Amino acid sequence: MFSILTSLLATTSQGAPANFWLPKQASTVAESVDLTFFVITWICYFFFFAITGSMVLFMIKYRRKGHEVVADGPTHNTPLEIAWTVLPLLLVVVIFVVGMRGYLNLQEAPEGSYEVQVTGQKWSWTFDHPKYGATQVAELTVPVHTPVRLLMTSNDVLHSVWIPDFRVKMDLVPGRYTSLWFEATAVGNYNLNCAEYCGKDHSKMFATVRVVPKDEFEPIMIKLASEYEDMSVGELPAYAINRLYNRCQSCHSLDGTTGTGPSFKGLWTRVKSGDVVFTTGERLSDLYGENTTYEVPENYIRTSIVNPQEHIVQGYLGSMPSFQGQLKDKQITAMIEMFKHLDELTDDEGNITVNPDGAPRQ
Amino acid sequence: MTTTSTTTPQVFDNYLNHTKGIRSWLFTLDHKRIGVMYLICVLSAFLLAGIFAMMIRFQLLTPEGTFMTQDQYNQAFTVHGAIMVFLVIIPAVPAALGNFVLPIMLGAKDVAFPKLNLFSWWLWVFGLIFFLIALGVGGIDTGWTFYTPYSIDKASSMGGVIPALIGTFILGFSSIFTGMNFIVTIHRLRPKGMTWFRMPLFLWATYATAIIQVLATPVIGITLLLLVIERTVGIGIFDPAMGGDPVLYQHFFWFYSHPAVYIMILPAMGVVSELIAVHSHRHIFGYKFIAYSSIAIAMFGFLVWGHHMFTSGQSPLMNVIFSIITFSVSIPSAVKIFNWLATLYKGSISLNTPMIYGLSFIFIFSIGGLTGLHLATLATDVHLHDSYFVVAHFHYVMMGSALIGFLGGIHHWWPKMIGKMYNENWGRISAILVFIGFNVAFFSQFMMGSKGMPRRYATYTEMPEFQIYHIWSTAGSTILALGFVICAVYLLHSVFKGKRAPANPWGGRSLEWQCSSPPPWDNFAEQPEVGDCYDFSVLEWNETEQGYDWRKDVAHPGE
Repeated sequence: MFSILTSLLATTSQGAPANFWLPKQASTVAESVDLTFFVITWICYFFFFAITGSMVLFMIKYRRKGHEVVADGPTHNTPLEIAWTVLPLLLVVVIFVVGMRGYLNLQEAPEGSYEVQVTGQKWSWTFDHPKYGATQVAELTVPVHTPVRLLMTSNDVLHSVWIPDFRVKMDLVPGRYTSLWFEATAVGNYNLNCAEYCGKDHSKMFATVRVVPKDEFEPIMIKLASEYEDMSVGELPAYAINRLYNRCQSCHSLDGTTGTGPSFKGLWTRVKSGDVVFTTGERLSDLYGENTTYEVPENYIRTSIVNPQEHIVQGYLGSMPSFQGQLKDKQITAMIEMFKHLDELTDDEGNITVNPDGAPRQ
Repeated sequence: MTTTSTTTPQVFDNYLNHTKGIRSWLFTLDHKRIGVMYLICVLSAFLLAGIFAMMIRFQLLTPEGTFMTQDQYNQAFTVHGAIMVFLVIIPAVPAALGNFVLPIMLGAKDVAFPKLNLFSWWLWVFGLIFFLIALGVGGIDTGWTFYTPYSIDKASSMGGVIPALIGTFILGFSSIFTGMNFIVTIHRLRPKGMTWFRMPLFLWATYATAIIQVLATPVIGITLLLLVIERTVGIGIFDPAMGGDPVLYQHFFWFYSHPAVYIMILPAMGVVSELIAVHSHRHIFGYKFIAYSSIAIAMFGFLVWGHHMFTSGQSPLMNVIFSIITFSVSIPSAVKIFNWLATLYKGSISLNTPMIYGLSFIFIFSIGGLTGLHLATLATDVHLHDSYFVVAHFHYVMMGSALIGFLGGIHHWWPKMIGKMYNENWGRISAILVFIGFNVAFFSQFMMGSKGMPRRYATYTEMPEFQIYHIWSTAGSTILALGFVICAVYLLHSVFKGKRAPANPWGGRSLEWQCSSPPPWDNFAEQPEVGDCYDFSVLEWNETEQGYDWRKDVAHPGE
């Protein structure tokens, strides 16, 4: 039985392009998953055409012409019925075994896999590379032909990592860790979607997996880990809008439209003048001055990032999570500098106009 | 005791005109009137949820979404799902058709507990009211599954969660009471000659369903109450911030909600067993296998809930166990299909409207059932889970099978319920439109799902390649909606202008075809004796009545 199946499987070779049913294959497990998929699909074709074919045949052949009295036909045939109970049973046992083997293969990450810590929170992905001390948001860079293990958790509600081209998926559960692993087989960019409904901007919780050649991977990581440390204050805004803003973008727009949170456009002007009213009815300007809550306006922004529940702006629900520990002090400084220079970094429609190195975007 | 003559023009006394006034309906204890009230309510809820379905489909015509915000879309799919599941499909066949048909099939005057039956209907109405309150006080955006911790997070999920949970809780009791009523009725009120294995298969199906309703529904009741308490007081059962386990909720939820899938599909299978046998005028093939398969599905259905959680983080061993048990459910489903096909073989098949629905069921359920294999298989489910493939699969089973079985049943028993015939040609046109529209709408969803389109997405700006599938799906659902509109028009037309229905228009042999159309107030003057309800050789066509009569040369059972 297995040898017949294996011979049928020859149509799905590793790295196969997209076909009628499935997207392209870009991981080592994709091939065996697709194999299982097609074995089942062929079985489905067989039964579907057998069932509907005979149904249509009987419909035509035995169509009632008039209103003749019918003879009572046979009521059962026990051996036949036992046969069509037992045969499908054998078939599904085979499918089960094939599927289970493939699944167990998906579970065990190979020894020495490269580890990435994944945090899901409404509605962005954060990827930490402990080996390099680098953090990525909405973008995960991994080396090709290397087993990668994702150790995942959530800061708020359930999320789920799904990379269709790799055929992997696993939920992120707050309060515990889950994991998945893959080994990418081709350099390129791949979609990573949130597959578990997580509220308002669930459909915008998107990231790109960038698979790079092995020798390019380490330099990218080293640069990522340290690029802001050596920057002067003047270089920070371009860095922040390119590297940090993507974890804000699902809630905070750059073009003035109101999202889950206030738009960043004109935010620094509002904050500096204290022209912000909170849900408590207090005005931000009342909190300014020596020996008050915020000696300088920059401290208000800092608090809004590390402890956003402290003051909630009127008209918003206050659903922002804390970024304490996720951003280094210099990165928070970079955010504040970004707010101050936002007009130089974006155009009127809120499109980002500079690259991380400060050069204008083409 | 066979028929009341239908050729005489004067209106005879029947359950529809026996008493008059709105109170005589709202507080009736008559199972037939309760069945009709359920039918009206369920179809109204179906219209409401259908409008939300069309909103969803038109939103997804473009990757950016056409007219709804993310929040509005999330509400639309939640309300669509919750109403369809709890207010439409679960009560559709058992409460609407079952209430009408079951006691008459037994030759009984009513169900065992008529007051409890009326109470079930009122509970349904209260359930609906709570759902409407939920929409009024801020809406619900949790999905019909109410997954934790999102549903207990007051800051982000919408304010209508608690009324919706209470509504679902109340609807659960409506379902439990209907189930209890049917179990007792089938045990106690069977007529002379009707042993267990002479019951019409529809009764086996409703009996199996009733067992699930009584055993599984209390679990969802308790779970939803815990959820209400967790959201209001915060006791830390499901909330990870307080040491609770959000995945525990999924176990509790699916322990009911998977068997609930069989609450939806089993009675529809029962309807189809009747449709196939009656309209092919041939003895049902393999009666006992079909009967036992209903019971087997009901039993296995309790042991497979974990297959909804293959990627939830539950242990691989559990996944393997749930996978193998899940496959076992496919066997009794396959057995039913083979037996229906064998019944068609050498039959005398009338392609009436109910039969077109019956055959549509076989076609669609084959696809729905077979694609279940992809999802029961662990390796492939990891990829397909929470994708449009799953959406397509459960619409093939719950909409394409359960609701099409329901529609077939409505058309089959409509002459009996209303006493009028609908326009047969329009009936066939509408049934074919529903069949085509459904398949266009949902087959495209299989393809986009396995290619990587996640479910519950209001927009898909990063994946514009899926737009073509969404356009197909929306086109199909428009055809589907057109089919339903035509159906509503000719059915309503038949109520006022339809031809008088004979007692037995199709040539059925179970007891409901032996009383007049519509049935008298108390169904049968005395409980009739029955024989083999699938032996159609005792019937002959009566041209003047345009229906079937008992052959003059054949004696009735017990004579």
